Amino acid sequence: MQINFGGREIAVKLVYYGPALSGKTTNLRALHQLTTDQSRGRLMTLETKDDRTLFFDMLPLTLRAESPTGSSPGMSLRIKIFTVPGQVLHASTRRLVLQGADGVAFIADSQVSETEHNAASFLDLRRNLTELSMNVKSLPVVIQFNKRDLPRVRTDEELASLATRGKEPVFKASAVNGQGVLETFFGLLHMTWTKLDTEHHLAQMLGIESKDLVPMAARQLGLKTDVATLLSACVGGNLDRHRQVTS
Amino acid sequence: MSTDAPPNVSIEDLVLDGRVRIEDMVDREGLDELCKSFVTLFGIPVRIYSSDGALLADAAHEQELCAYLGGMPDGRKACAAIVGGVRAQDAGESGDVSRPCFTGATYRVMALEYDGRRVGRLIVGPFVPGSLSEPPPTLLSVDKMIDPEKAKALLAKMPRAKAETITRIAGHLKSALDLILFSGHKAHVTSKMHLASVRESYRQLEEKTARLQEAFDRLKELDKLKSNFLATVSHELRTPLTSIIGYSEMLSEGLAGELRSEQREFVKTIHDKGEQLLSLIMGLLDLSKLESGTMRMQVRGLRIEPVLDEVVSTLTPTARKKGVNLQLDVGAGLCELKGDPERLRQVFLNLVENAIKFTPSAGFVTLGARMVEDAGDGDDDEGLSLLAPTRAMLEVRVSDTGIGIPGREKLKVFDAFYQVDGSSTREYGGTGLGLSIVKRLVEAHSGSIRIEDNAPRGTVFVVSIPQPTPTVAETPRVA
Repeated sequence: MQINFGGREIAVKLVYYGPALSGKTTNLRALHQLTTDQSRGRLMTLETKDDRTLFFDMLPLTLRAESPTGSSPGMSLRIKIFTVPGQVLHASTRRLVLQGADGVAFIADSQVSETEHNAASFLDLRRNLTELSMNVKSLPVVIQFNKRDLPRVRTDEELASLATRGKEPVFKASAVNGQGVLETFFGLLHMTWTKLDTEHHLAQMLGIESKDLVPMAARQLGLKTDVATLLSACVGGNLDRHRQVTS
Repeated sequence: MSTDAPPNVSIEDLVLDGRVRIEDMVDREGLDELCKSFVTLFGIPVRIYSSDGALLADAAHEQELCAYLGGMPDGRKACAAIVGGVRAQDAGESGDVSRPCFTGATYRVMALEYDGRRVGRLIVGPFVPGSLSEPPPTLLSVDKMIDPEKAKALLAKMPRAKAETITRIAGHLKSALDLILFSGHKAHVTSKMHLASVRESYRQLEEKTARLQEAFDRLKELDKLKSNFLATVSHELRTPLTSIIGYSEMLSEGLAGELRSEQREFVKTIHDKGEQLLSLIMGLLDLSKLESGTMRMQVRGLRIEPVLDEVVSTLTPTARKKGVNLQLDVGAGLCELKGDPERLRQVFLNLVENAIKFTPSAGFVTLGARMVEDAGDGDDDEGLSLLAPTRAMLEVRVSDTGIGIPGREKLKVFDAFYQVDGSSTREYGGTGLGLSIVKRLVEAHSGSIRIEDNAPRGTVFVVSIPQPTPTVAETPRVA
């Protein structure tokens, strides 16, 4: 996270991580489509000719935080969402993109045959975080099981039982149809915001109530659905883990 | 690991908080062209300023009215004040501000935004609002020299547009510019990312190379230690062994009193096994010297015939005892060699002894020598005209009719301690040191050794030693 007092800006970095072809870019494209023009910028994709992510994709969201009382001048919250290239050969790029991430959404492939790739990629994430001297335990991470629309995927019961074993909140998605994409994003934003706010008192800085930020973001992004409804799609894990741990 | 430092390059500056500047992302001339085409299309002057106030593109030609006013002292002053004011005008909170001119014309100052931030200003104008028909009093009174009729005529020549039209066409220019900025930014990020990625891969490679180099150095050190250890141990083993051999010899010669035949037999066994052990230790010592490069060779000019003669005469009793026919077949016209006769004797003694060992009774072992022309490696004969004179080789062939060596073993037999039959119950004894020493000794004579099959059965060891190149002093002079 970067705070620029002069420019009245707070910049937050979220990274979508996961094995090759698990749908990270698809998530970003869907997020781009599901939000309105005013708050989100152009989706920057750096891809090769065969549509595989070469370096990263990046979607910028710019939110204006106006204090309801008008007591302090508005600040902008700039959220940059990145995807890493999933292919094994881009290891160094993955590490570069992961640098300075405030939160990570791990996009897993629900297909049973991809179980090992999911695990290998998660270990790769942990290894890279360690190498970047980032605290693996305190980093907000949500897991998305994508491609729910395909046959031969892990069943809902399996996911539910897996979710209770892990501490990360789990979301189910079919990014290609835009399902579960907002839920995952707002789950991650909620967790990340909670952690950053607890550590840096961002709400005070932005002049808003802590609990108002995520609903405000949803409003500015043109969402019709209530944030609480989105967050309730979470299976297992604890979205408020960081509030409890750090306060 | 200390070498696993985090990457020293960051993309944060580029995409997270990095300020995009128009001047960095857009080609200045291209921007100028874009503005000019805009002017051609709509006839309204435009200028683009960076966020620092630097003029980046100017597609405004001086209006005739402005030129006319510029010719008068007060008119010029008033014009300069307006132009300076417009240039300094901020786009305001809304990002779109109108700035009127005393002529009745208007300028529009608009914010250029990229990625939610202001990156510069677009100044459109001067243009005359659609509603204006008569020159305003501010124009007619600006200078006493002004001619109202001319001012009116020139004002009519100025571009005319409604405020909404300006908003629409400026919006068009802004979105074109935004697209250009985005493309430039994307290309910029891509190339930076590429560099960062290459640098990161390079850093990883460097780390790996350093680790490999470290491991290699350690292995080299260990190898040296092993050679030293081998040399020391061999030397230390040899000293007491010399006493065992010497005293057992003295015993068998009766120097300590006459021995009974059984006692003599026992002492002889001690003596023979002592000799066997000594030759093994000498072998180890030779190998360690050859490996560490400390083997001293007594190189001089020599002929191979007496060396081979001696080998045959030494081993004839052994061959006869085993019922193997040992033959010597030396051709005529063999050249003189440069080498250590003692070491060459050791080479052929070892090869012939081996051949006898692996040849069954009534078999043949032949030691032959001849001169050959090195035919080179097939097609790879570049520069043969230069190299041919040095390619005469003395070839010594040790052929047997023994058990032969399987194809895949032909290279391995020269490795130290290697035995084709490595089992503990093998038929033929030996340490596996002999051939590795032979190979190194031959190589120390700039020669080579290879194994051929001896049809229908058996093996041929072929040792090739190049004829020494005559030095300048040795070249016969033609009078």
